[in-house]
Amino acid sequence: MIRQTLMEAAGNLLAAWQRSLLALLGIVVGAGAVISMLHAGAMARNETIRQFRQMGTDTLILRADSTQGMGNFRLGDIESVPGNVPLVREIAPFMIGGGPIQHEGQVRNAGYLGVTGNFSDVARIPVAQGRFLNAFDRFELFAVLGSDLAEQLSTPFEPIRPGSRIRVGRYVFEVVGVLAPVLQNPMMPVDINGTLFLSIPNARRVMAVAALSMAVARMVPEGDPNLATQQLQQHLGPGMRDSTLNVMSARQLIEGMNQQVRLVAMLLGAVGSIALVLGGVGVMNIMLMSVAERKREIGIRLAIGARRADVRRLFLLEALILSGLGAVLGVLLGFLGAFGFAWMSGWQVSFSPIAGPLGAGVSLAVGVFFGFYPAVMAARLDPIEALRSE
Amino acid sequence: MLELRGITKTFRIGPTERTVLHDLDLDIASGELCSLMGGSGSGKTTFMNIVGLLDKPTQGSYRINGEDVLGAKADALSRLRGRLIGFVFQQFFLMPRLNAWRNVALPLMYRGVAEAEAKRKACAMLERVGLGAHTEHKPSMLSGGQKQRVAIARALVGDPAILLADEPTGALDPTVSREIMDLFIEMNRDLNVLVLIITHDPGVAARCRRRLELVKGRLATQEKLAA
Repeated sequence: MIRQTLMEAAGNLLAAWQRSLLALLGIVVGAGAVISMLHAGAMARNETIRQFRQMGTDTLILRADSTQGMGNFRLGDIESVPGNVPLVREIAPFMIGGGPIQHEGQVRNAGYLGVTGNFSDVARIPVAQGRFLNAFDRFELFAVLGSDLAEQLSTPFEPIRPGSRIRVGRYVFEVVGVLAPVLQNPMMPVDINGTLFLSIPNARRVMAVAALSMAVARMVPEGDPNLATQQLQQHLGPGMRDSTLNVMSARQLIEGMNQQVRLVAMLLGAVGSIALVLGGVGVMNIMLMSVAERKREIGIRLAIGARRADVRRLFLLEALILSGLGAVLGVLLGFLGAFGFAWMSGWQVSFSPIAGPLGAGVSLAVGVFFGFYPAVMAARLDPIEALRSE
Repeated sequence: MLELRGITKTFRIGPTERTVLHDLDLDIASGELCSLMGGSGSGKTTFMNIVGLLDKPTQGSYRINGEDVLGAKADALSRLRGRLIGFVFQQFFLMPRLNAWRNVALPLMYRGVAEAEAKRKACAMLERVGLGAHTEHKPSMLSGGQKQRVAIARALVGDPAILLADEPTGALDPTVSREIMDLFIEMNRDLNVLVLIITHDPGVAARCRRRLELVKGRLATQEKLAA
């Protein structure tokens, strides 16, 4: 009986295939939207985790703010932090600037970072060639380049490598190291890959505004970022005069970003749900039309012994087949959408394990929900009236 | 067998009431072949709906094989209809997407008969009505007369007590019409099923042993002809 009903339901849908296709479209788009949004959410989450895995979640960024803009740290205060603030293991202050860099006729505008020798350790940036700056360089005109910047300044005959000479402002620097490419870090104010690194005294020579306004710090393992922030405020706050200290922790940022991702996912989910509901309305519309058109058929069925449940089952099954097919196509569309999203955002492709089953389940539920009313309408028809209708 | 007592049907359209059937009494024995004639507005259709368990009278009692059939609710009525009554319509009313044997087997399927068994019975019944070679054909590939034969097979496959035919020859030409009447007479004789044919055609009515006529909701004549 079920097999026969299934066959009939499928036959009816095929007979009105154009209409079925239209009803399908809504469900497919809805399910596809929900599923690709779940995948996108999963990818965003993975991407955040990946970014922080490289830099570590024990990182703190300190920034001195003043009413005029950038504030100032005293180098001595910063250097005394590791001994006096128990939760902070290492700290590296830096200053930010930027301007043109020349090498063999190539000119690029890039950010400058004036740093101390421990910066690459604290910020976990590996060196690809040569070495990073160290405490003994001081006034020596040495520079280290991020990987992208090094590539941009290279010419086919004269690649940037340790020993290359570059011009920054009125000075010629010798390149002592090139950094390995690193992932964009959302906490860093600059793109490490596109940055020129100089010692702090040299940075003061080439920067228009030479303010030691930032520092990157690393906590002791399992350190509480809030407590560390408090300790840093106590230690640094009194010496900062007109500036205020702002501490940002990786964990806070992750939470903030996760919240954002959740918000975006919810938004997409809402859009997908609306599409699904519209798809469901489409199914209902098609089914209602089908019921109206097939009144006489329903009448015949009732006359030859079909119970109301039999009629209801036939129409419900039709709605179910429609939404089931829509769910399958929607899952495919969702995966395609996820690939497209990954391709556009440059993120790693990863799939949410719940997206497929959830999307398919929801669209099936929508189909049943919106198919139920027409099916009940069909089952409630008066056989006499149904037989008499054209 | 078929026992109607004091059947009255009143329709209410707004404030006015219209009585379509007036206090009808009728007995038809099983195995009878009976025609029912009547002009339009005579209450013919209403009468058929009541006999066919599609509608209920306002008053009166109705027994089939001694079983009171008016107390049943919609679903039970459907089941009674499936078990006791076979319908044949003027426009055949076959399912266009089902082939001949599936059309015939449909009432059995609704009764929960397994598919193999239903197919066997349906094919046997198609054989009986002379369509043994057309079991796999869709209705669109059959002629009008053949379609009506399929419809008759469908009506008879469930072994009903009553075969109710509403203008069964109305859409057929005279030759085919005669063949279909032959089939009704044959089935009536062989299966001992009560056949009630509603018709406009005096030629059709003339071939029935018992002829009834409805005039303004009352049975006018009840002549019984010698066979």
